[in-house]
Amino acid sequence: MKHVFNVLVAGVGGQGNLVCGRILAEGAVRKNLRPVVGDTFGASRRGGGVLTHLRIGESDWGPLVPRNQADLILGLEPLETLRAAVKFAGHRTVVIFSELKVDTPGSLVGNTSYPDVDRMTEALESISDVVYRLDPKESLEKIGTNRVLNSYMIGALAGSGKTPLDSSELRVLVGETLKPKKTNIAAFDAGLKRISGLMIGENV
Amino acid sequence: MSGNEAFARGAIEAGIRFCSSYPGTPSTEIATAIMKEAERRGIYAEWSVNEKVALEAAAGASWAGVPAICPMKSLGLNVASDFLLNLNLSGTGNGGLVIIICDDPRGHSSSNEQDSRFYAKAASIPLLEPSSYQEAKDIMPLAIELSRRHELPVIVRSTTRLGHSRGLVELGEIDERPLEKPLRLVGNLFNIPDPHLRHRDLLEKVDKIAEEFETHPFNHFQGPEESVLLTVSTGICQRYVDEALEIVSAKNAARLGLITTFPIPIGLISRTASKARDVLFVEETDPYLENEIRALSTIEEFGISARFHGKLSGVVPSYGEMNVDKAVAAIESVLGIQPRTLDEAYESEVEKARKLLIPRALTFCAGCTHRNAYWAIQKVRESLGGNLIVAGDIGCYSLGAFYNESMNTMQAMGSGIGAANGLGQLERFGFASKVIAVAGDSTFFHACIPALVNAKHKKANLTFLVLDNSTTAMTGFQKHPGSAEQNLDHQRVSIERIVRAVEPDTVLVGDARRIPSTVSLIEDTVNKPGLNVIILDSICRLEEQKSGWIYKDLPKIMIDPDVCLGEDCRICVSEFNCIGLGWDSQSGRPFALDHICTRCGACISVCPEKAIRRKRK
Repeated sequence: MKHVFNVLVAGVGGQGNLVCGRILAEGAVRKNLRPVVGDTFGASRRGGGVLTHLRIGESDWGPLVPRNQADLILGLEPLETLRAAVKFAGHRTVVIFSELKVDTPGSLVGNTSYPDVDRMTEALESISDVVYRLDPKESLEKIGTNRVLNSYMIGALAGSGKTPLDSSELRVLVGETLKPKKTNIAAFDAGLKRISGLMIGENV
Repeated sequence: MSGNEAFARGAIEAGIRFCSSYPGTPSTEIATAIMKEAERRGIYAEWSVNEKVALEAAAGASWAGVPAICPMKSLGLNVASDFLLNLNLSGTGNGGLVIIICDDPRGHSSSNEQDSRFYAKAASIPLLEPSSYQEAKDIMPLAIELSRRHELPVIVRSTTRLGHSRGLVELGEIDERPLEKPLRLVGNLFNIPDPHLRHRDLLEKVDKIAEEFETHPFNHFQGPEESVLLTVSTGICQRYVDEALEIVSAKNAARLGLITTFPIPIGLISRTASKARDVLFVEETDPYLENEIRALSTIEEFGISARFHGKLSGVVPSYGEMNVDKAVAAIESVLGIQPRTLDEAYESEVEKARKLLIPRALTFCAGCTHRNAYWAIQKVRESLGGNLIVAGDIGCYSLGAFYNESMNTMQAMGSGIGAANGLGQLERFGFASKVIAVAGDSTFFHACIPALVNAKHKKANLTFLVLDNSTTAMTGFQKHPGSAEQNLDHQRVSIERIVRAVEPDTVLVGDARRIPSTVSLIEDTVNKPGLNVIILDSICRLEEQKSGWIYKDLPKIMIDPDVCLGEDCRICVSEFNCIGLGWDSQSGRPFALDHICTRCGACISVCPEKAIRRKRK
């Protein structure tokens, strides 16, 4: 692998962003790599944006991904995905994001309007290498909770094969870390399946 | 582990037995991690009432031979500095005392961005700046040992990015030697009658430490002896520089990473810098090292002819947080390399994407009673024709600054009522506004009591509003003397009794859950002359939820669409603005977000049309 693989996990408070970072970091440890995780949360408890920087390499890197240097952006929320991409995406960036929006305090009450997700997807496509837009709504409804979105997204990341991490190892870690185990594993599998479907479509 | 957990682990490995602290981002997790291990390791750990008391308590322990640490955030050291600048002269006895000071460049969670390293210089005490999680842990035993040997407090400086990021750390052995007993206090714990002679003794210690630091194993030089560029960096900036040099692929560059930054290892710097063409300083917040070395370089024996670059020359921004990109730009500028940019077409796409973004603003939690209090204050302000000044303070309720600008001032802990002491004397000059000071419960204990006494004594005209939610909510619900629930070995101290003991002209207790009565309570009180205190019983919804409280048994909130005035009004969402309420633009009516709403019903009284109600079961 090259010196460092940069991942950003973008979302809002309460989505399990930080634990997502921990699981991916542990996945790196299990591949005998050295992860460094930088958590940036201004007011996550109050519904603000949360961005986790994960740097995977063979030595300790600084905790923050430099500008345009993201290898992969895992977006738990479209607006926050775009916010991360504007700063950290570059020509080689892979974006995997969930299209389920979380309104801002302003958009919730109609003081501002939440940007159109299709337009944001186009923008993401124009500033990164490849974008996978996921629609977890149906899967999460089937599983019965949207609290497993992060497991779904880790499954998608694992299924993309775009990271130095091991897919089956991540699945084990999701099961070990997130409770209840069964629904989180189900979400992981659903995410993995969904992105595999998208990627097959790509090859056709 | 995180940098903060690494500091805690290092302190435990060093065999500390005492930890006193006051919570503050980004330092809180250090003491929290110690507290988790305290019982098992035989450590006494406390959240003190403020940082000054914390440092004094830790010094008391160290004087008697008990090794101690005192973690705090940057601004905390301002509070504790009065004591620190005496303690440096008297010394810390045989125990050992390390202050871990966590600066917050950019002020992510602070009201300023302050470089606390100047306190080490001001107090002439050793300063260490670890650059990684491993060093954060490894430095602690060395720091305790250094403190014990020289009987001086030692400052270890961290920054947000070190404390709040995590990496792999190899653990060491824990020093489990029992304390030397009996504990005995050292002598001469005062600086009178000849502080100047204690100062002389301190400077002698500093000279010895400076010699030690010349060969300190944590200072790190890498690269060719004769270099085109020598970077000098401290703390986490070492990591930024490593990466920046790689990105620029700078040829013939050398790196000096300094951990010991007071006293400065002059010999080491002069040896390495004298063979460099250019020297670039990369450090967090102020040009501390850059200033020192520029000054030293004017001494001929120092032997440096290199050109200096850094915050003072402008190649590094002199405010804000450092990162790899800034380090890259500085190196490119010094080496005269064309800045690396992606193509213009790409940049214009990024600009287009950026224009789509909307902010995710900070606001109070759903059901937070601070919102109710500020709403009430706004109503009172309206009825006073705007003639109301609100001097605010530090805590969750600082968000009042963003809540219809309800709060006019916010400075340091306790400064709300402090400033109100002045504002409350201005009627004699024709100042027409009523004055309210707002503070939370933990802040009340931290720094409000002297100002409250002063206000009583000087007959200041002010109303002091204590928003008492019974917890240190902002930093993660630490208990304080007034908390309703206390550890078995602690005793509760009542805010109300302290206030009554000062004998203000009026003392009233209100309930922040009830908006109409809070409005009339504040309105009646501010119009009374003299010192008035209102203690508003408040609720932190996050703590309530954390302790297992669920809202599902309460009746839901609903909006009667036939009564609601819709777009013509919007008071509930645009002015009261609880995030438990959303707006349906199709029907032009608000709706309760049942998964966020705490069903507190505060919004019911806010609606002038009585369109908001509780759903009958």
